[in-house]
Amino acid sequence: MSFFGLGGAAPQVSTEQKLKGAEAELDMITTMFNQLVDSCHRKCFDKNYSEGSLTKNESLCVDRCVSKYFDANVQVGNSMQSVGQSGTLGRGLK
Amino acid sequence: MDQLNYKEQQEFQKIVEQKQMNDFMRLYTNLVDRCFNDCVNDFTSDKLTSREETCLNRCAEKFLKHSERVGSQFQEQNQKLMDQMRGSK
Repeated sequence: MSFFGLGGAAPQVSTEQKLKGAEAELDMITTMFNQLVDSCHRKCFDKNYSEGSLTKNESLCVDRCVSKYFDANVQVGNSMQSVGQSGTLGRGLK
Repeated sequence: MDQLNYKEQQEFQKIVEQKQMNDFMRLYTNLVDRCFNDCVNDFTSDKLTSREETCLNRCAEKFLKHSERVGSQFQEQNQKLMDQMRGSK
């Protein structure tokens, strides 16, 4: 990222910082995925395993569950943003 | 996130592989725990009954298939989200 018109060299992000950033992002996605798997399993399956494959209802439930989870993720993210900004003047950028 | 150059990508790939191994072990231990809790409740013997064995097999298979399905849905939803974000810029 460089700041045009200000002259001077752009601040360099070190390799270590880049890798840490990438790792943090990967960890976040992995955590979200694992939580998603556990949540949707809890919500869509019951414990009497009559067969090993997914029933039609279970599959449908899972698909919908994932979709809603993503929407919930966005909703909660937006709430966090607005709560975080409620102490400042003006609205946040969307 | 800043883009990684080729060398950094290679280094990152090693980190990713380590994480994948850890994640696999985590999956395994969690799955055993889950299926044991759901399927094994008869302690009149110290051996698994055939009913329990069947249950364990089904439990594991179902969970792994579920996990696979979530994976593909996750990719789809993620792609949708990216497209939406790009569209709104």
